[in-house]
Amino acid sequence: MSHAEQRAQQSNPRDTEEETGQSKRIEVTDSAAIPDKSDKGLFTAWRVSCFGAIGLIILLCSVKPDPYLDILLFVPDGVLVTFEVTMLSIVLSLIVGLITGLGRLSGNAFINLTASTYVEVVRGIPLLVQLFYIYYAIGTFTQIPPFTAAIIALTVCYGAYMGEIFRAGIDSIDPGQTEAARSLGFSRWQTMYHVIIPQAMRTILPPVGNEFIALLKDTSLVSIIAVSDLLRRGREFATSTFDYFETFTLVALIYLLITLFLSKIVNIMENRVTPYE
Amino acid sequence: MNESQPIISIRGVYKFFGRLAALENIDLDVYPQERIVVIGPSGSGKSTLLRAVNQLESIDRGTLQVNGSDVSHPKADLNKIRMGLGMVFQNFNLFPHKTVLENLTLAPIKLKKIPREQAEEQAYPLLDKVGIRDKADKYPSKLSGGEKQRVAIARALAMNPQIMLFDEPTSALDPEMIGEVLDVMKDLALEGMTMLVVSHEMGFAREVADRVVFMDEGRIVERGTPEHFFQNPQHPRTQKFLSQIL
Repeated sequence: MSHAEQRAQQSNPRDTEEETGQSKRIEVTDSAAIPDKSDKGLFTAWRVSCFGAIGLIILLCSVKPDPYLDILLFVPDGVLVTFEVTMLSIVLSLIVGLITGLGRLSGNAFINLTASTYVEVVRGIPLLVQLFYIYYAIGTFTQIPPFTAAIIALTVCYGAYMGEIFRAGIDSIDPGQTEAARSLGFSRWQTMYHVIIPQAMRTILPPVGNEFIALLKDTSLVSIIAVSDLLRRGREFATSTFDYFETFTLVALIYLLITLFLSKIVNIMENRVTPYE
Repeated sequence: MNESQPIISIRGVYKFFGRLAALENIDLDVYPQERIVVIGPSGSGKSTLLRAVNQLESIDRGTLQVNGSDVSHPKADLNKIRMGLGMVFQNFNLFPHKTVLENLTLAPIKLKKIPREQAEEQAYPLLDKVGIRDKADKYPSKLSGGEKQRVAIARALAMNPQIMLFDEPTSALDPEMIGEVLDVMKDLALEGMTMLVVSHEMGFAREVADRVVFMDEGRIVERGTPEHFFQNPQHPRTQKFLSQIL
């Protein structure tokens, strides 16, 4: 059997979703591919990238510690900031996203229009422009610290994306579920909380995980407004030593490692919530 | 409870989907412990009528009272009214993320604030009643259609409703599973449960119903005892329908 055939055969255990009563899956677009055991090719690609990156970093640092080891010791502060920005933004954007998603599904015309307009506007403006707008444009009236501006911009931007994911996830649940819960006497909110959202979570998890990874990568944009993240630290090192090639090689490898690591976590989480059996 | 007082009272009810009248001037009373089976061709409005009783479908005109409260009134406490109305759907609509037992206990725990142990204690006899106790810890995806529907009935019963509404409970089932669900429904009828059933099961209607209601194009065309209905139907539309299906 050729490799391609093997893949085709092994690929979709999800084809049987309907039989197991599992709900639809939202198609994933952006960001790093999440490794999936059923997908042999990707799984191997993940390993090659991951061990390749680790091996390369070790190799570079041991063969040419000056400047590679110096860089590696210089940037961890930045990694920490990158994580802080990512975590804060993701948590806030999940909250904004849930509210937005519910707003987009609201029967109230005003709430619905507000939520939809927010999504429409935010999706139409590049994140970098939003970042500049909050930091520089609004900064002409009231100065916002760069770190705060970064969090606000990422939250506003990703809140809109998350909102769409929440909306799609909630929408994917059979209306019969709502009817069953309402007929038992659950209120609209209780139905959402006890019946719809727990089921939507599993549909939502993979795309949210992907947004998480995309967000982490997008945090590199905040280096432009003087937040000392990983990229910024790399630039600081490079501008003082002129080791541009070495610095950005290492910075790229570190981003890659973090992303691969996170995609693995998302994959594990995804597998953990899968069975209703 | 006063036997002469209807538990469901439907008066002059209209429901429009666009310009189409799904329900047209419906009058119907259901008395305590009465079993009413509503039959009719698809699109006749029988499911809409059933769903109007617990307001899954709103009505446009007329009054609809359950236990004396006007369910279509904007200030009606629908959640409370619905707790007294068990509903069984064609497509079961079990909660797939909950086990069979949890499907039964979710509403009592969250809505009646009954402690979990007590809710489970009350759930097991219901699972016995529908003959599915051994599947208590299974998820719905592991059940057959007939088992799912029996769980759905038990889930509705767990709220201890005064009235049970059945919306074509056997229509989505494989033929060999229809019997087991009808048996559970017959047992319920024997216990004196008030039941409003939309069904195509003529045998069930004949055997269990106190009254049969025939609907066509949003109207109640004919109503009467099963004897009257199946042996001596008056209206030509009823005669035609019965000749087509019997």
